Amino acid sequence: MQTCLLCHRENLYQPTLWQLLNFQTVSQSPVCTGCWQTFEPIPADQACQGCGRRSAEKKCPDCQKWQADSSFSNRALYTYNAPLKRYMSQYKFNGDYRLRRVFQGQFQQAVKTLQADLIVPIPINQSTRKQRGFNQVLGFLEGVETLAGLATVQSDKSVPQSAKTRQQRLLTAQPFKLNVDEEVFRKKRVLLVDDIYTTGRTIRHAAELLIGAGAREVIGLTLAHG
Amino acid sequence: MIDAEQLYGRQILADEVHLNNAQGVQLIRRPALAIQDRWVLCQRCGQRTLKKEVRLPGNKFYCPHCFQLGRVTSDQWLWSLAEPNLFMPIASSPLSWRGKLTPAQASCSQQVRQYFAAGRTHLLWAVTGAGKTEMLFPGIQWALSHGLRVGIASPRVDVCLELAPRFEAAFKSIPQIVLYGDMSGTYEYRQLTICTTHQLLRFYHAFDVLVIDEVDAFPFAADPGLSFAAEQAKKESGALLYLTATPSRELQRQEKQNRLTVSYLPARYHGHALPEIKVKTTGNWRKRLNQNHLPGKVNRTLSQLIMKQRRFLIFVPHVNDLPRVETALKKQFPPLKLATVHATDPQRHEKVQWMRDQQIDCLITTTILERGVTFSDIDVIVIGADDQVFSTAALVQIAGRVGRKADFPSGLVQFFADSQTKVIREARRQIRFVNRKARQEKLIGDV
Ligand SMILES: [Zn+2]
Ligand SMILES: [Zn+2]
Ligand SMILES: [Zn+2]
Repeated sequence: MQTCLLCHRENLYQPTLWQLLNFQTVSQSPVCTGCWQTFEPIPADQACQGCGRRSAEKKCPDCQKWQADSSFSNRALYTYNAPLKRYMSQYKFNGDYRLRRVFQGQFQQAVKTLQADLIVPIPINQSTRKQRGFNQVLGFLEGVETLAGLATVQSDKSVPQSAKTRQQRLLTAQPFKLNVDEEVFRKKRVLLVDDIYTTGRTIRHAAELLIGAGAREVIGLTLAHG
Repeated sequence: MIDAEQLYGRQILADEVHLNNAQGVQLIRRPALAIQDRWVLCQRCGQRTLKKEVRLPGNKFYCPHCFQLGRVTSDQWLWSLAEPNLFMPIASSPLSWRGKLTPAQASCSQQVRQYFAAGRTHLLWAVTGAGKTEMLFPGIQWALSHGLRVGIASPRVDVCLELAPRFEAAFKSIPQIVLYGDMSGTYEYRQLTICTTHQLLRFYHAFDVLVIDEVDAFPFAADPGLSFAAEQAKKESGALLYLTATPSRELQRQEKQNRLTVSYLPARYHGHALPEIKVKTTGNWRKRLNQNHLPGKVNRTLSQLIMKQRRFLIFVPHVNDLPRVETALKKQFPPLKLATVHATDPQRHEKVQWMRDQQIDCLITTTILERGVTFSDIDVIVIGADDQVFSTAALVQIAGRVGRKADFPSGLVQFFADSQTKVIREARRQIRFVNRKARQEKLIGDV
């Protein structure tokens, strides 16, 4: 018996009629239909073109206010609701790597639609990586060709924040550095992938860096917005 | 840095461990995950998993069965120190309990003590309301006064919290600690430990005597890790005692094959038979409930009870059924004083108290009240006993709510079901079986 990885109840294998008629082999989803239906997808045509949240307008009120960085656009696949939060906590904090498979299909499809030259996952820092044993974003992208174009910057803990000049503080605010030669990004359309878009600060920092390296366009893709 | 005392008979998961007072002790280090051809075997919870399911980048593996205590990965170790039994010597008898055991209790109690002394695994099967906690006291007294480390574990937190004050009162001079998932304090090294079975995963060869209470359906079909946890938490030479009120057929088979020794206490301490389960068949109780109505037969039974001024519990399968039954009862029997209760009800303890204090006459409940609570002089109704939420063990426990007090040793146990399922038949069979056994042993009079 297969059990659902989220609710631990029996997970019946229910291929669709279409799949049966076409003799398609589909791998069984690791979560049951009941759990699957608690997630709220954001259709691309009902999303804010800035941050990716569900929005009737082309730009949500927040994004209208922050017109300054309107060059960056993020696509979020789901609303970050309670069931998705529970999923993320089991995946990231328990470290149940099996759960990477739940949204792989959705990511593969989105990556195809967004048609980028390069796909760059947001990296996680060394100590988290060591403790968790995996990068949760790379887990979503298994089977997709990605480029480890970014690395995290080790925060300099020997100097307290208050002792730094404003200039230094702004500099240390950039959590990433390039992991490959600038040349690689020149004139490329780059897709940055992260798990959750909250304030957008993380992914926008990364985008800035890539634009600075000469990328033609940088767009974002996240599992969720919230 | 960690005090050596914190690690006596315990196991902690870490890359490395540094002790504060390391003189004279030898750290034991075991790989947290055993790697086999196709499987990984968790050394903390004992469960095995297919390697390809739980492979991490870098060819590491993890256990997906015991996350609550922090994830076990193949590059970690389980660290422990051998249990040294460093307890205060006990001058006089540590047992402050002054009650008296019935002859049947005393004889079971004697057997239990012998198995403790022999360091064997044993099962004590005592019916609901047999007074099994008291039966443990003499054996535990023996263990404590010999400087042995004793653990009492139950799968349910409720049961642990109910047992703790009773042991505290019975062994006033012995320091004890109660361990469960969201406790507020921290772990301390004590001679007597009361904990959830889940907490046993933190122990390694600690207990000379370990008792596992409220074990349903031995050998733990629902929780295959439990016997592993118990075996590992006790010393290799330690005794292990399982307590159950609901012996499964598997248990009886194991006993017949001499693979397990069992003590029976088929009678309640007051010497009256267990009330047997009566069943009435309903047409379609689910449909009636969904329309906020009770099946006609339920109504007739209830009006008889109300006429006789009986007080009763009504068990329903689901939380959603509580307001339905409540609505129906209020319409049908307006003067009846009633309340509903379920697992996450913030007023749960108050409502149980209202029922005890006779402020209400009827408590409608889900299975949460199936065990651990005692009311005097009540009847029990189960609506939808054929629903799959009720296991045999649950039904036997529910029936066991009736007639627990010596002053009121009998009462009605009435199930309503569309059909007599295997689960219901097995529950009835178990109760008849123990009553027959009790009569054979002349433990109960004829009823
Ligand atoms: Zn599920
Ligand atoms: Zn927006
Ligand atoms: Zn485990």
